[in-house]
Amino acid sequence: MPGTLDGLKEIAVIWSAETLRAVRSARTLVLLGLYTLFSLATLLVVAALISSASGSMVLTQELTEIPPVILGVFKVNLFFLPVYVALMGFDQISGEVGTRSIRYITVRARLSSLLLGKFLVQASLLVGLVLVIDVGIFLYARYSHPNFTLSAMALSLVKVWLATLVFSLAYVALTTFCSSLFRSSGLSLVFNFALVIGFLLMELVGWYYKDKSFIEYIRYLSPSYYSSDLLSPVLSEFGRSGLTYAGITLLFLGGAYGVLRARDL
Amino acid sequence: MSELAIELSQVTKRFGPKVAVNAVSLAIPQGQVYGLIGPNGAGKTTAFSMMCGFLHPTAGTLQVMGVPPTTPGALKGKLGALPQDALLPAGWEVGELLTYWARLSGLPQPEREARENLEKVGLAEAWFTPTEALSHGMAKRTAMAQALMGQPPLVLLDEPTAGLDPRIAAHVRQLIRDMKGRQTVVVSSHNLQELEELCDAAAILDRGTLVKAGTMSELTGQGAEFRVQIARGEVIPPELTQLPGVTSAKMESPGVLLVRFDGQAHKPEEVISRTVAHLLQTGVLILGVSRGQKLEERVLQIL
Repeated sequence: MPGTLDGLKEIAVIWSAETLRAVRSARTLVLLGLYTLFSLATLLVVAALISSASGSMVLTQELTEIPPVILGVFKVNLFFLPVYVALMGFDQISGEVGTRSIRYITVRARLSSLLLGKFLVQASLLVGLVLVIDVGIFLYARYSHPNFTLSAMALSLVKVWLATLVFSLAYVALTTFCSSLFRSSGLSLVFNFALVIGFLLMELVGWYYKDKSFIEYIRYLSPSYYSSDLLSPVLSEFGRSGLTYAGITLLFLGGAYGVLRARDL
Repeated sequence: MSELAIELSQVTKRFGPKVAVNAVSLAIPQGQVYGLIGPNGAGKTTAFSMMCGFLHPTAGTLQVMGVPPTTPGALKGKLGALPQDALLPAGWEVGELLTYWARLSGLPQPEREARENLEKVGLAEAWFTPTEALSHGMAKRTAMAQALMGQPPLVLLDEPTAGLDPRIAAHVRQLIRDMKGRQTVVVSSHNLQELEELCDAAAILDRGTLVKAGTMSELTGQGAEFRVQIARGEVIPPELTQLPGVTSAKMESPGVLLVRFDGQAHKPEEVISRTVAHLLQTGVLILGVSRGQKLEERVLQIL
């Protein structure tokens, strides 16, 4: 028990100190700015498309509470969030292993604390950023849909925010895993991108072979496949999807820990 | 203080086909200042990195303060380490970085600890300096400060004075001297004069293999040999070997007599006095007497 408490304290110390460093760094600010701009551009494009083809967007009955423009931005975001997450955290571990600065940490903290602390830094940045962007998008939705009530807006905001987070955390864990595999940050980034693209291809190939061949099952290997239920109003469906993403997150974090424990630092 | 701080048993480390450390067994008692000696590529830094838990041994076992060093969290608070080739992370000011590390070590007053140790290494003015703006020497001293924080019972220093100007290097040596007796210190260095001056004992490594290990007195032969510088007169070595304790005597070079003795059974001062008295009685004039050999000479002889 004292060991667990000590471990939690280590995680808290690493998280608070490294988050402070991250929010001061120029790279984080640039990436946050890019993400905001990209979301704004997506919002404008999706809003324009929806207004030009009003009513043509196919939505499930259950999702009608959330305005189509938000659903559109949400779905587009899911495509580029993994890339953004990779750009933000590709060197979180490899940057420390490559320069060996990790050695100053490992003599005073457990590897698991370092890994979770770094993971939480990336997660915190996303939590804040996604919330700010989502609030902006919902304010726009409220402006463009005057019948969108405040209570519905608040509920939908929490839903979309949680859904985006659950999805993103799996990719933060993937980035942590890729960053643990290599000494060179460049290699981590390339490998991370390769996996993200690979997952996307698996999903596309799976859909292409649907009901044609056993190859269709390959889409189950792609984390993004499970995103379809993230905005479901049925709690059990959202829960199942959320749990799948939690499992994927744990899988990648466990992999990262295994790699770091086994390797020389 | 008789317990072991570090124990290596048949430790081997391979990097692909290259054997960096080959079946090294070593025991370092607590409370000593212990040197790791050897030329480039001898395996000092690899052995050092295994002791810190940075590298996993390919074979053999290591115990540091009674635990395997790669066990997560096992050495927290017990070990301070100055790695030779680890860069300080960028994006920090020196003071906040050391405070962060002190907090991570679980020290009760992290900022005070950081300030005191930065002052110890003569870098108090660098508190607000970004780590990426530090010169090599300043970065080295910052890294030294983090190793000293919390006064851990075991401090491992890899090349602590390399690249430092003589004044700062002397200051660092003094810091190591101050730790003597209170903490166990392992120092790896190319500077043999420095190690001879600082260390109680040392291990000599060459091409990954342990060549010799022992107390500084054993390594330099101070407890088992002495040299007499002869000014004039004829020395007859066989006569000297008849003296109690003397095991051999020979002219090492013109004017230098090398006498070896049984340092276990006889005190050096007694053997030296008897030998000098005998030489004087036989009409030999003496310029000086020196015990043992310089560590540098001994290492060059061995390697």
